[in-house]
Formats: sequence, C-alpha cells, structure tokens
Amino acid sequence: MANSTQAAFEKQPMWAGGRSPFNVSYGKLMMWIFLLSDAFTFSSLLVQYGAQRFSNVVTPVTTKWPDPASIFNHFPFIHGVHLPLLFVSVMTFILIASSVTMVLAVEAGHRHSRKEVEKYMILTIIGGAMFLGCQAWEWSTFIHEGARLHSNMFGITEQGYKHLASVDFGDPFHWMDGDRTNGPVPFAALFFIVTGFHGFHVFSGVVINVVVYIMTVRGVFEKRGHYEMIEKAGLYWHFVDLVWVFVFTFFYLI
Amino acid sequence: MEFPVKPGEYDAMTYIPHTESHGTKELWRTFWILLGITIFDFIIYFALDPTGLRNFIFIFFGIVKAYYIVGAFMHLKHEKINLAMIILVPTIFIIGLIMGLLYEGNAITWMK
Repeated sequence: MANSTQAAFEKQPMWAGGRSPFNVSYGKLMMWIFLLSDAFTFSSLLVQYGAQRFSNVVTPVTTKWPDPASIFNHFPFIHGVHLPLLFVSVMTFILIASSVTMVLAVEAGHRHSRKEVEKYMILTIIGGAMFLGCQAWEWSTFIHEGARLHSNMFGITEQGYKHLASVDFGDPFHWMDGDRTNGPVPFAALFFIVTGFHGFHVFSGVVINVVVYIMTVRGVFEKRGHYEMIEKAGLYWHFVDLVWVFVFTFFYLI
Repeated sequence: MEFPVKPGEYDAMTYIPHTESHGTKELWRTFWILLGITIFDFIIYFALDPTGLRNFIFIFFGIVKAYYIVGAFMHLKHEKINLAMIILVPTIFIIGLIMGLLYEGNAITWMK
C-alpha cells in the first residue's frame, strides 16, 4: 500500500510541483544547502589565511611566515622532543575513524537495526569527544608557547633555521635565545579563528549526535518507521571531517 | 499537517525516499583509502623538501580525500545528478576567490 503510493508519487512529472525533483527528503536537501553555505564560510576563512600567507612569503627571512613543523612539534606526555606533524596526524585518524563509525550507523539505520545504530552512534560520539580533547591540548600547548591573538613570536631568524635544520624527527629539541623573533601578526589569530571555528562545529556535531543517540534509544525512529535523522546528522558530521582535511592541509602540511 | 506523518501520506515536505543498505564494503574501502592517503602525506612531508611540488602533492591528495568523503561517506555519488550539480557547481566561485586573493596577497608582498 505504502510502496505503491510512493511509486505513484515518484512517477509524477519532475518539475510539475508536488514532489521532490531530487528524490531526497526536504530535510536532507536543506542539510545539503546548509552545508554548501558552510563550505563558503570555511572557504572564506581559509582563503584569508592564504592571502595573508602569500603577502609574507619573501625576504627578509625574519618576516617569513612561521614554519608549522617548528611550532606544532609536541606530543602529549613526551616533552622536549621534536615530533612535527605526529599529533595532528593522530587527530586526523581519530576524525576519519569517527566518520566511518557514523556511516556504519547510517547503514545500520537502513536495515532498521536499532542495537547497531546505538553502538555506532556511541563510538562516533566518543571519537568526536576525543578529537575535541586533542584540540584543547593543542590550543593549550600553543598558548603556553606564547601564541596570542595580537602578536606572533614564531618568526624564525637565520640562526633559528640553522638550528631547526640540525634536528631530525624524534631528536631532543628546545628553542635557544635568538632563534625566534616577531613574525606576521595574523598567524596565531587565524590559527585560533579557523581551528576554533572548526572545533565549534565538531562540538555542535557531538551535541547533535548525542541528541540523535537519545532519540534512537527512546525508539523515536522505530515509531517513525525510518532512520533518516541519522543520515542528516551523518551529513553534518562528514562535512566536519571534510573541513578538517583542508585545515590539516593548509595549516599543518603546507 | 499532523505529526508524525502516517505512512502513505506523501507530499514534497514529508516525502522520505525508501532506502536500502548497500553493505559496508565500499565504506570500509573508503576508510582504508583515506587512512592510506593520510599516512602517505605524513611520509611525503619528511621525504621531500618544502617546495611547490610538495605543496601541489598535498593539495592534490586533499582534493582526492574530499572526493571520497563527499562521494562515498556523504553518498553524493549515488544521489541524482541534479542534486550533485546544485551542490558542486557553486563551489567554482571558491576557486575564483582563491586565485584572486592569492594573486593580490602576493602583490602586497612586493609593496612591503
């Protein structure tokens, strides 16, 4: 009965009104439109970072844009060792892993398997919380190093570049006097704005996932007859992962 | 309109398409691809000197990762082409913005 009504519904002319031309629900379409607008928001922030960076690329060497490998080289519980990129790669792995548990929850929702949806949603929430914890640690380390919104002491002198070139991955490393000087001011400010904006998205995503998890446990979707809400929460969560791919590329790799 | 919607009552606002599970094979494959690219990025970071080529590799693999996340995880590969186009085509403007502002930023360098 329901299926034949649906089949008749989908056979109506595509643009004649009264149906979805994209064969998706209203909620999912609106989530896509929201994500598109959010993509523009993050692009504007990242493009601003790019423009600031491109306006500080050349000589004299002391005003060069800070080298991420020389700043984000810490790892929890390991002090005074030069480990660039390692911690942020772990963060990336956590986010990718939580993305895959989210998509497994969506897949379980298609099979109306409530127990599995609950399991995968819990794993996704844990992954998001872990990522937020990592980011809090990253921020606190960065601030302890001396990062502020209005100044940047991560410009590297020629002596600093020589010092940095002499250490390998995993060597003991501490800055010496005269290694660093004032660099372009927007560096730390943009780091805080962009990773903070992304972290706030992760936080909202975790809140949404918790709400959806509680709804699953209370059997709301079972009564409703479909688990589409998991898909919508999932779209948002994957978008957060997508943004991190570019934050990771532009703030840490390049 | 009353809520919740009774089965069989369809219109554009309450329509939920029937969905089926396509298994987890593609999802796990995507996961391994994303993980592999991230490890590859990590290796390239230390294997190559910081040059334009290395940056190009990073951006290229960033776009590859974005393709897999949007296509497989967000399921856009399997949606109708209409939907994929209204989401993807407007991002052309982002490319324009990048080119414009990087050019201007570079010009500011020479004025400093």
